[in-house]
Amino acid sequence: MSALALTLGGLTLKNPVLTASGCFGYGLEYDDFYDVAELGGICTKGLSLHARAGNPPERICETPAGMLNAIGLANVGVETFCRDKLPILRQRGVTVVANIFASSVADFVAITERLNAETGVAAIELNISCPNVTEGGIEFGKDARMAGEVTRAVRAATKLPVWVKMSPEAGSIVGVAKACEDAGADAITAINTIRGMSIDVEQNKLRLANRTGGFSGPALRPIALRIVWEIVGAVSIPVIAIGGIGTTRDALEFMAAGASAVQVGTANFVDPSAAKRVLDGLRAHCEAHHCDVQSLIGAARG
Amino acid sequence: MSSPALARRRLATFPLLRRESIGGLYHVLTFEDRAGTHALPGQFTMVRGAEWGEAPLLPRPMSYLTGGNTPSILIKVIGEGTLRMGRAEPGEPFTLLGPLGQPWRSPSPGRRTVLVAGGVGIAPLLFLARSIAATGAPKPLSIYGGRSAKDLPLDDELADLTELQITTEDGSRGTRGRVTDVLGELLGPDREVFTCGPDRMMAKVAELCAARDVPCEASLETPMACGYGVCLGCPVPTTDQAYLYACMQGPCVDARRVDWSRADHAPKKGATQLRVKA
Repeated sequence: MSALALTLGGLTLKNPVLTASGCFGYGLEYDDFYDVAELGGICTKGLSLHARAGNPPERICETPAGMLNAIGLANVGVETFCRDKLPILRQRGVTVVANIFASSVADFVAITERLNAETGVAAIELNISCPNVTEGGIEFGKDARMAGEVTRAVRAATKLPVWVKMSPEAGSIVGVAKACEDAGADAITAINTIRGMSIDVEQNKLRLANRTGGFSGPALRPIALRIVWEIVGAVSIPVIAIGGIGTTRDALEFMAAGASAVQVGTANFVDPSAAKRVLDGLRAHCEAHHCDVQSLIGAARG
Repeated sequence: MSSPALARRRLATFPLLRRESIGGLYHVLTFEDRAGTHALPGQFTMVRGAEWGEAPLLPRPMSYLTGGNTPSILIKVIGEGTLRMGRAEPGEPFTLLGPLGQPWRSPSPGRRTVLVAGGVGIAPLLFLARSIAATGAPKPLSIYGGRSAKDLPLDDELADLTELQITTEDGSRGTRGRVTDVLGELLGPDREVFTCGPDRMMAKVAELCAARDVPCEASLETPMACGYGVCLGCPVPTTDQAYLYACMQGPCVDARRVDWSRADHAPKKGATQLRVKA
């Protein structure tokens, strides 16, 4: 096994650098930039049972060292993904984590069953924390009992590893993470965006049509780090960190806090090859320090 | 409609070769690209100062004014990012991702080209006018409008390349009024319009063209985070009750595809979900 490879909840990854759902399309938009099969994995745009057009504009705005988005889970739907996108990803050897979203437990299971019929899906990531849709979404992620129920149902429906993506807005995030672990989750992803708002004071108008949007980017990093630290201390399954990670230094910080892997999100918008830069830097770090990634995980926890 | 082969997109860091302040809030930034930027008129680039750190975070979408070894953009200082661009000194490194998006379609040989520009919307139209001049085709007609005489950057170059009419809302130059007040005179069965400017202006241009059955191509401007089809932050409502994404399906589109009544003002929360295009 190379110094960068790791086993994460029963799944072997080439390396611990992944891309975050919603910030990397379906992984097929990067042909001009680099071979995404090099990455530890890609998390797809959140897939729903049926295609969704998403929210009306304006959907995004910039904030200090970050941005707000209210895309509304625009996506092609699981069927089109399986038909048009997945075969290409599979053929290229891309490690695909299917991020899925639904407004009912039954639909989460239905999407999972559709994915079961395909080869080339490495894991399923449950989005129970989208702040930008009215139905379902974040409501599952705020409540330990409901989060556990969704996780248990999907767990029972598939042999694939199941990751659950945490909302930073749960009253007790640790409580939700533990409930997901108890329900059979293989890993915890933390964190999704946190709701924010922006007003154009010249027109006294909200900048987003959805009024609020998910806040992401470097400004989110210290909050994400604190939450990752807390979850790592409370569960025994691996934690995959996300929140303002754009450089190798950021990735090392989250791994030192105990994250087993990282996801690069908003940084992809600034630089399409951001995740590859993080990976190349991590490889160089491991070579320079004669270490493997396992030794980086939890290095600051003492 | 022919679709020219588009160059491979790349992210590269270029030094600023020069910044020309052209009055008011307007500047032309020219970069040095030794490999050459193979941009077509109407394509755009995501521009960001390489030394900006983590704020302002996102690159800014800008139409190319020129390509080649000296790609350039026209900016108006309106926020933090353009303020920094407007203060940049030669040598300062910038990252440019491009060329991005759909270029202007090729002007139809049988029709006289009419360019309709508002403010900084002149940038992609000047690029087009230069490429038309290079083919030896008849000089396009053009209308260029702004709030006042101060809001007509690069008007002299457009005057060289086209038969130009100017309008200003305050009457400080040209005809008092808006571009759409004089556009009617230039429309006819043998004409073809290319427009870029504020949404309200383009909506009116599109309406006038549709009424006279004159083809109209518009260059869309929306907020954008990535510029290459992944953030999904740039939807534009279409007449078939869907969205097109300005970064990949635009910025240059047939104006008849756009639902201009909705493009200009976002529907209220709770509005019916539009369906996704197949």
